[in-house]
Amino acid sequence: MDAARGDRIHLDAKPSRCMNLRTRIQRTIKVGWTAAVVWSSYKLPSTARRLTGRPPRTDAELSQRHERTARRILALALDMRGVMIKMCQALATRSDVFPPEFIAHLKQCHDAVPPKPYSVIQAVVERELKKPLAAVFSEFDQAPLASASLAQVHRARLLDGREVAVKVQYPDIEDIIRNDLANMRRICRIYEFFDPQPLALLPLLTELTNHIGYELDFVREGKFAERVRALFAADEQVKIPEIYPDLGTHRVLVMELVGGIKITDKKKIEAAGLDPVDVMQDLMHIYVRMILAAGFFQADPHPGNLFVTEEGKIVVLDFGLSKELPEGFGLGLFELMFSLMTFNETAMLRAFDELGFRSKTGDTKPFLLIARRMVSRSDSGSFEGEFTEEMTSELFDAIRDDPIAQVPSDFVLVARVFSLLSGIAHTLGSRANVLAAMSGG
Amino acid sequence: MSTVHEPEPGRLVYTEQELLASGDYAEPLIANEIRCHGGFLEDGTYLSPRTQHRAPAIHAWKQRLTQQGHELIDIPRSLMPPQYPNVAQAKLLLCNGVREPIVRALTIISIVEGFGAMIRDVRVPKLESLFVEALEGTALAHLTQGLFEAHARDESGYRDEGGHKQMWEAARDEALENPKIPGDVLMRIMGRRQKRAKTGPIFPEIDPQLERMLAFMSQVMVIEIFAEGTFEWGIGLLSDPEISANPKAAGDMVSFIQQDEKPHVEYLRTALSEVRARTIRTVDEKEIPGSVVIDEFLHRILHAMSRNRQRDQRDDLRENLIQAMQVAQDPKTLLEEFDALDQAWTPPAETGFTSTRSPAAA
Ligand SMILES: Nc1ncnc2c1ncn2[C@@H]1O[C@H](COP(=O)(O)OP(=O)(O)OP(=O)(O)O)[C@@H](O)[C@H]1O
Ligand SMILES: [Fe+2]
Ligand SMILES: [Fe+2]
Ligand SMILES: [Mg+2]
Repeated sequence: MDAARGDRIHLDAKPSRCMNLRTRIQRTIKVGWTAAVVWSSYKLPSTARRLTGRPPRTDAELSQRHERTARRILALALDMRGVMIKMCQALATRSDVFPPEFIAHLKQCHDAVPPKPYSVIQAVVERELKKPLAAVFSEFDQAPLASASLAQVHRARLLDGREVAVKVQYPDIEDIIRNDLANMRRICRIYEFFDPQPLALLPLLTELTNHIGYELDFVREGKFAERVRALFAADEQVKIPEIYPDLGTHRVLVMELVGGIKITDKKKIEAAGLDPVDVMQDLMHIYVRMILAAGFFQADPHPGNLFVTEEGKIVVLDFGLSKELPEGFGLGLFELMFSLMTFNETAMLRAFDELGFRSKTGDTKPFLLIARRMVSRSDSGSFEGEFTEEMTSELFDAIRDDPIAQVPSDFVLVARVFSLLSGIAHTLGSRANVLAAMSGG
Repeated sequence: MSTVHEPEPGRLVYTEQELLASGDYAEPLIANEIRCHGGFLEDGTYLSPRTQHRAPAIHAWKQRLTQQGHELIDIPRSLMPPQYPNVAQAKLLLCNGVREPIVRALTIISIVEGFGAMIRDVRVPKLESLFVEALEGTALAHLTQGLFEAHARDESGYRDEGGHKQMWEAARDEALENPKIPGDVLMRIMGRRQKRAKTGPIFPEIDPQLERMLAFMSQVMVIEIFAEGTFEWGIGLLSDPEISANPKAAGDMVSFIQQDEKPHVEYLRTALSEVRARTIRTVDEKEIPGSVVIDEFLHRILHAMSRNRQRDQRDDLRENLIQAMQVAQDPKTLLEEFDALDQAWTPPAETGFTSTRSPAAA
């Protein structure tokens, strides 16, 4: 909300006219069609069964249905990129809500987007840098290192010999996204019209819009990367790629080439002689230092953005979704965790208040109930310093159930980060203990 | 006091509930409007929380050990580095309007006290099978039977009763009148990261969980013992009417904390002394004297704490202090006066414990 104002990119504006009308209509139809097919494939058979008196579907039948639906959604997302991929990524982190068949397919969004042809990428870079490629790079790989939702990354070499990664925004992606968002808003409205008890999708969409706005501004991204890099300048366990801002624009980001083992690849980590528990501890240290101590952070610790080098350094990439936290937020968060750990309800209420939680009626009881629900969802029945995925989704469920509670959006983002980290920790057979990371133990 | 504590001399086995039980107080301890643990007898004596049975129990375990002819671990005070800034220096700063470093220091102490709660998360292996001698009726046998839990609750508070964390906050806020907390305390606590020594276990032949537990307990014990310096500092400073808005309340609060710490030092000292008096079974069916293991840990910890750690912390702090002094009218003179109040300190050459596994010992 706040920062978005000052930013260059406003996605809530009307789709611009420059995007070909036919493309726009095509995209709208594709999304609408898939939504309709998905919706009806679940609703129609159960309605038909109800009407004809047949028993509801079996688990196996349902599983097959999920499988097919997930494949359909993934295909659409990969075809359309942009917002659809972002949505799939978001959904793929919610294994508490969606069946495993879904998650398995949607997860591929992290690294299975088909690349755009080199000629397209070259054109963007040359238009942005206002120079032919050869005037800046001595080498530029035709095949990308990775292609993601908004951009594609190519390995290249500068004239002075330095190896770099060049992140290039897809052409017209801003327009495409604007159009997608408008479509989704339309679909949400239609859905809310038909469903007697709709999920509140529009606020989510607004937040997504803000975040994508950040991610489309590579100058902002580069600045955050530099800040985080400075924060860990003295820490040998952390590797943040150096940014070359002079060579970049809002749509092209040139940075040091880095690499390593994917953070969730436990086998490879062990094969490199590293202890996954140490790796997790270092990773937690990085996020706790950013969020609790420094007050600005990379808010997107999905496994595609994190690597471990052979020497055991943690590589953090992709500062597209980075944020600054209000003053005192870190201490408030610490006090909240502390009060959860000690079951101190007075302190919990104070911490919720410090973090900006408000209730529309002034009644603070809902927050206590939320805290109790969260703690009861941890496996030991007490808070051991880890926001598990279960606890975080319990938090959001509780908030959704309670119309009077208002939750600061910064808290939502931070909770998502810790829940993602908890997911990685479990893959590595470890824990994401925030308090332990803080005390160095 | 004895009527409340009902000590049962010689009793060696307790339930968890007993070790967590507090006596009856005539009056609770309220610190800066926050209910804290512990309380007062009719005559105004402060009574630490959860000591009704815990205090006599620790006494009995300790007595049995010494009666059997074993010695108790003793960490000489001479190893304890002095506080920096010391009381006189801290007072000088406050008198010159340089408050931030003192507020920061007090806040960090309160947070670090709170982290004490993590002792309840220590993984404790099945001790009975790891020692040659029996463990019945020892402090060791009661670690998960209330000792760790009582310790955790004392440090961080439990339910709506504040613990040492809240008591230090109260002492700070009473003495310095609810000062603004510097925004960098958590950054300071996380500090500069030390490179993890990839040494692996020091005693690969013993159960890794046992090694981790004993190393951790040794570390906590030394910290608890060295904390004595912090209490004396806190009392000396916060009960000084020249700089404290509420010298009695603030000074008393720190002395209550100091009193609560006694059982922490004592149960850890007793349990680790029990290990020293015993024999540990190794994973390859051999044996190793407990004293070899504990002395190794204590040597390493004391060596590090009295040398490198102490020097690093001082350097870190000094930088920050000089910066903070800029708010004073004459920072240069202040720094000179400040330095003149410093006491030289060199750690003793020996820790008093023998290392058999360090590179130097080989
Ligand atoms: N500096 C770099 N060195 C090496 N590879 C990089 C670098 N930057 C990015 N990559 C590769 O490109 C991929 C996509 O980059 P990045 O995550 O920044 O793009 P994105 O569009 O924000 O992607 P997503 O939204 O999927 O996270 C990374 O997962 C990584 O594999
Ligand atoms: Fe304490
Ligand atoms: Fe203590
Ligand atoms: Mg990204």
